[in-house]
Amino acid sequence: MKFRKRSLIYPIVMTVLTYLPILVVAVYSFNESKLSSKWDGFSLKWYAELFRDDSILEALGNSVFLGVTSSVLAAVIATSAALGMARSKLPLKQWVEKLALLPLIIPEIVLGMVFLAFFSLLGLPFGMLTLIIAHTAFCIPYIYTEVAACLDSLDYSAIEAARDLGAGRLTAFFTVTLPMLSPAVISGMFLSFAMSFDDVIISIFVTGVSVNTLPIKVYTQIKTGLSPKINALCTIMLAVSVFCLALAGIIKKIHQNHS
Amino acid sequence: MKKLALILAALMAAGTLTSCGGGAGENGTLNLFTWEGMFPEEVLTEFEETTGIDINYVNFDYDETMLMKLQAANGGDYDLIIADDYIIETAIAEGLVQKLDKSKIPSIGNVNPLYQGQFYDPTDEYTVPYGAGVQTIVYNPANVGIDITGYADLWDASLADSVGIISNYRVINGMALKVLGKSYNTTETADIAAAGAKLNELAPNIRLIKDDYIQDDLVSGEINAAVMYTSQVTMAKLTDPSLEVVYPKEGIGFGIMAMFVPSKAPNADAAHKFIEFILDPERGAKCYEYLGYYCTATASEPYITEEYREFLTLPAEFSKDNMEMIENITPEADDAHIAAWSEFKGLCE
Amino acid sequence: MNRKKQRTANLAVLPMYLFSLVFVAGPLVYMLVLSFMTRDGFGFQNAFTLENYAKIFDEVYFATFLESLKLAVISTAAVILLGYPFGLGAALLPTKYARFFRTAQMIPYFVNSLLRLCGWIIIFRANGLLDKVLMAAGITDEPLKLLYTYPAVVVGMIYVLLPFMFLSVYQVAEKLDLTLVEAARDLGAGKVRAFLSVTLPLTMPGLKTGIVLTFIPSMGLFFIASILGGNKVVLIGSLIEEQLMRAHNQPFAAALSVALMLLTGVVCGILMKKRRDV
Repeated sequence: MKFRKRSLIYPIVMTVLTYLPILVVAVYSFNESKLSSKWDGFSLKWYAELFRDDSILEALGNSVFLGVTSSVLAAVIATSAALGMARSKLPLKQWVEKLALLPLIIPEIVLGMVFLAFFSLLGLPFGMLTLIIAHTAFCIPYIYTEVAACLDSLDYSAIEAARDLGAGRLTAFFTVTLPMLSPAVISGMFLSFAMSFDDVIISIFVTGVSVNTLPIKVYTQIKTGLSPKINALCTIMLAVSVFCLALAGIIKKIHQNHS
Repeated sequence: MKKLALILAALMAAGTLTSCGGGAGENGTLNLFTWEGMFPEEVLTEFEETTGIDINYVNFDYDETMLMKLQAANGGDYDLIIADDYIIETAIAEGLVQKLDKSKIPSIGNVNPLYQGQFYDPTDEYTVPYGAGVQTIVYNPANVGIDITGYADLWDASLADSVGIISNYRVINGMALKVLGKSYNTTETADIAAAGAKLNELAPNIRLIKDDYIQDDLVSGEINAAVMYTSQVTMAKLTDPSLEVVYPKEGIGFGIMAMFVPSKAPNADAAHKFIEFILDPERGAKCYEYLGYYCTATASEPYITEEYREFLTLPAEFSKDNMEMIENITPEADDAHIAAWSEFKGLCE
Repeated sequence: MNRKKQRTANLAVLPMYLFSLVFVAGPLVYMLVLSFMTRDGFGFQNAFTLENYAKIFDEVYFATFLESLKLAVISTAAVILLGYPFGLGAALLPTKYARFFRTAQMIPYFVNSLLRLCGWIIIFRANGLLDKVLMAAGITDEPLKLLYTYPAVVVGMIYVLLPFMFLSVYQVAEKLDLTLVEAARDLGAGKVRAFLSVTLPLTMPGLKTGIVLTFIPSMGLFFIASILGGNKVVLIGSLIEEQLMRAHNQPFAAALSVALMLLTGVVCGILMKKRRDV
């Protein structure tokens, strides 16, 4: 099958639509007015306000830490479980498999409330620990379903071929199975990071006195309305991630040219 | 996979770097639990600098979440909480609030008596108000053919598909109750059902029901009239001065936000210092302008700038006699409210 | 050897096993118990009742289940139609393009979802960007009033859920053996036949995952309906929130959640079974 330029059209259209509202948000971070219904002229005042607000930057740090930790934890737990599920003989394993997916189905607000009640029953100290447990619980389903789907479509002959060629179990696992699973693990981890990074309802319930996350800072501006400094923060984060990816691409290219 | 690991490591490093900001101040920490954006940044910084107490600003979304967290903490963990009136009544009843030590708050006299002695704290032993909201109608006279003077006018057929309301059933059902000449706090389920039926007639006029950014929709022309919260009124008027603000003739409903110290606050002393700090007339004025709610400290009123004064201070004719607060009611009455409200929302297509 | 394999497998499953039994089953049992309790002021008292479940069948509450189901089905269908070709199409491109589109779907998540929806508000609102463009081009004469309508809600749902479908389909399609498709074509199968007999079955696990990850959250999602739909579509999620946060009826909220969970589980089960039969 040859690559045709035509087949780029649809993905490009979808990508543009994905970014349209985000670009609007970025543009309005430079709006002088606090209201988005009125353009009062170009201004950097929201950026100035953002950098004066330590607590928002701290919350951003917490959110990143929480998102990464819970998606990594969930990835380890879910991937190994998905791999072992077929052969394992643990009792009730099918039920546990379904149980692990339930946090997806329970409405966040109820999940948050029962987590709060359950954690205080266990006497766990509210803070980063409880946040990580709760987030890992709702991250596992994303990774598990992705990896299970991948295992369903996996070409087992390659693994067997490797074993036939004398590769040990561990070698076969690391050189054949894991690379084949990695797109699924990446997709799942990414979805979990995204859900964790965006979660507010569960987080508010399970966090303690000293840990705020970014979404908490955004959603609790109920009494006074959303400040455009959040727009400013998101614009910066978007710019930084695009910059980092571009940089990684360039480094890779230079690397390839050298070798 | 390697690239992913690299990205993760970089994110982690960034995360830990920025999250290391905290640390207790030399005179301890004040755990302040309230909504985001309740104080201007410079006031918080000034407090930290003058007292050496570090402010740890923690947020909740709903009053109910706050109460559940406070219950889970047994009245501990948090030093100072700012929340809405009705939830404070419950918190006090559950023994989660401590009496204020008035000797540590010499400026307590700065508070406007209109906002004191209310149902949630009749003897003012537990709370100091911080901002009040009055339910008002705002409309755009350029697009509205009638003179709106009260809630009943929102039912006018000329306003079809052009009214916005906030998403709080006690306020909106209460509006219908007021039109029928009842109290916000009636516990007669028949009255509430009648209000629901009245409200259903309003459905064709409703374009949107929401709490956030309703002022944007009024400014952009999406809707022509709205029932909204005070801070939204302030923002709308500052953006478009031609908008009309109406104190409904059926009666004024209002709510108060107040500060209280939880029963087992780890640093109650810092909490009292903060209350005193905010009661300073000039500083208070700065806070209320930032907040956009009615100023609850009489002493601060003279310091409020001309631009803001009409939005943050109540006209003189208002007194406790013609204003009513939304109070906690019986579960049966609450059920009747929410059933009426759900039915009404279903009718607004 | 076999026994050793099984022990390794048991060990691999164990962490999720324990974690789920403690941190998922625990809260779940609490929720179940709560749903049979009697409400009491702000909290509840330990008195068994079935009233919470009986109440679900009140017309006004039952309607919210149907409304949620309708929105979830519409959104999931739209996400399949838009997202499946997107994920498949992107994955079949040469690696550098494919990776670009995948990364492009990930970056937006650094922007808070509330803000992204606000972006749509600015675009859709009366006299907003879309109206201005259309009016300047002479296509329309007056504001369209697109915001706070059902279609606006569906657009928002698609926008938030599409990446789930995209990534699920993409990760399976990326490993697709194109020689099989070519072989089918060589054997004289038309484009459509080749797709139906080779590509679709091979990407089915991805599509299924995508459907699960789209349908399940869409049953509970309600903040899109409240932001873009002006709260006029009454969904089960917003009813639960109101019960919990405004009406202080925790047991009823728990009962509603159990019902929602059952409904979602049943629909998912049926959906998956049908797919397997194809």
